[in-house]
Amino acid sequence: MTKEKVVLATPAPGTGLPAAMLLCLPMMLITLMMLSRGNFPSEPASMLAFGATYFFVNGLFLMMIRTGNTDRWRAILFVTYAVCFVISFITHLIEARGSMALTESNMIEGLTPFCHVVIPMTLIPAALTKTIIFPGTLLGTKTAIASMFVLWIGSSLALGRGFCSWFCFFGGLDDGFSRLFKTARIRTIHPRWTYLPFAILLLVVLVSALTLAPFYCQWLCPFKTTTEYPEITSLKTALQAMVFMSLFVALVLVLPALTRRRTQCGLFCPMGAFQSLTNAINVFDVRIDPEKCRSCKKCISVCPSFSMSEDTLAKGKSALTCMKCGRCLDACPEGAIFYHLKGTPLNPKRAEVGRRLFLYPAYLFLATMAGAPIQDAIVKIIRLFTTGRLI
Amino acid sequence: MRMEGFILGLSSGVLCAAACAPVLIPYLLGEGRGIALNAWLTLQFLAGRLFGYLVFGLLACAASLSLSTRGAHGDWIIGGAYVFFSALLISYGFFRQEASRRKSCFVNRCQKWIPVARPALLPCLAGLITGLSFCPPLMLAFAGAAARSGLGESLLYFLSFFAGTSVLFVFAPFAGALKRFPVARTVGKLAAGVMGVYYFYSGSMMILGGLLR
Repeated sequence: MTKEKVVLATPAPGTGLPAAMLLCLPMMLITLMMLSRGNFPSEPASMLAFGATYFFVNGLFLMMIRTGNTDRWRAILFVTYAVCFVISFITHLIEARGSMALTESNMIEGLTPFCHVVIPMTLIPAALTKTIIFPGTLLGTKTAIASMFVLWIGSSLALGRGFCSWFCFFGGLDDGFSRLFKTARIRTIHPRWTYLPFAILLLVVLVSALTLAPFYCQWLCPFKTTTEYPEITSLKTALQAMVFMSLFVALVLVLPALTRRRTQCGLFCPMGAFQSLTNAINVFDVRIDPEKCRSCKKCISVCPSFSMSEDTLAKGKSALTCMKCGRCLDACPEGAIFYHLKGTPLNPKRAEVGRRLFLYPAYLFLATMAGAPIQDAIVKIIRLFTTGRLI
Repeated sequence: MRMEGFILGLSSGVLCAAACAPVLIPYLLGEGRGIALNAWLTLQFLAGRLFGYLVFGLLACAASLSLSTRGAHGDWIIGGAYVFFSALLISYGFFRQEASRRKSCFVNRCQKWIPVARPALLPCLAGLITGLSFCPPLMLAFAGAAARSGLGESLLYFLSFFAGTSVLFVFAPFAGALKRFPVARTVGKLAAGVMGVYYFYSGSMMILGGLLR
């Protein structure tokens, strides 16, 4: 048995505190506007939640700039965002409807919040029938169909599949569980399975066009377990609930913990596959400097979306499925991996500039999306401690 | 009169193409052939579908036949066909590549007995079974054919209905344009396997419905 030499990651190039503070200033100003939405809260609990969220979000960004690490700080906000989203969403549902179950009358009234995962399924029916096959409202609320489309287009142009690591309110759950253990219990997954999300995308798009209903939401979405699910009134709805729960346990809880990968995002989610295609038109990509790379393959072993392989190392860039989470950047002992603005010369010496250029839009999306659910969850937790009731 | 069946088929062709596409497109991608060979596979698929429609034509005539023909027995037969077909799709999508490496495994032995090992039969069977779905246009065609006076008229009605529904399938062979992307083949096979799981559910529910009726 050969002894493996342990290679520690060299510290990423840091930035002095005054310079880091200066670089954080634009983010601090924009997040002040986005988190407050123009109105500073007056209630003590809301004020406390706003302050805590603001300092939490900007503190993490400061650390990102100061230490040169990306994923380490991103993951803290991303996982917190997902957990708070679940707390906020479920409590809102129970306040509004009395239950997480979605009744037929809710659907007829168009009260179903629209989620970005439905987007690929709506495109063909929208083109053919000029209707959106989803029982939600088109305009008027934060969870309306038009709002989500605008956010999706903006974030896809800015981030490509970075959407899955800097925007998606579900991704943080399997990201969190993938960090539960220090070593992976399951180390090898056949590369063939990494194409499964594309197969599921192909199918859900075709079947949704056939049935004029969002097939993935009806049958396959594991996150129904943490948001809302059709009211169980028949064998069919009971089966649906069983499928949702089984997929959630397998793909979001168990497999990420055993593999240290984001298995739901990398092996199942059709939206992730769809977003991979937007990586082709997005302005940022992740490059590998062949001169610095020593082929230690650490990036391959840490990549949560199966986007690093020996092939990609040879090509000098990550695969189309890359979520731009930055885990490989943090893990590379040579600092050979960097964010790159397409169309600009490949200059690994100016890698930090490319990283910052990517971080501003990416982190702004994450902070803006995370701000409201985190504040809401904090208010509810304060309420739980002061009144004994979460709802 | 025959034009009536053709026009009904033409008007509902989008629905028929959409019903068949989740099976046909993954299969064509999975085979990874060029446009010409895909056209041949599509013809085999359509032949299977034609056979399915002619079976309906016969039924429509023999029953004189009202829509109530679809009783518990009908559910069992079609549900059973769906379950059988789902096994083929799952085998094709998930096990076919693996099986060739493990010569003695159970799956490989089974494949000697199923049409996966006989390439021409899978598209025919896929066409036949997707053609057996009770979609609204088919029910209309069924009602129209049942109103005809004889067997020949019924079959001709279904033949013209089939011709109308087949027009949109001329686009299917162009999936062969993706032949130069090897991943399209893997994606197609996996998609066929997942579709098999869906058919397995549909078939099981039909059988269960027939048992409970």
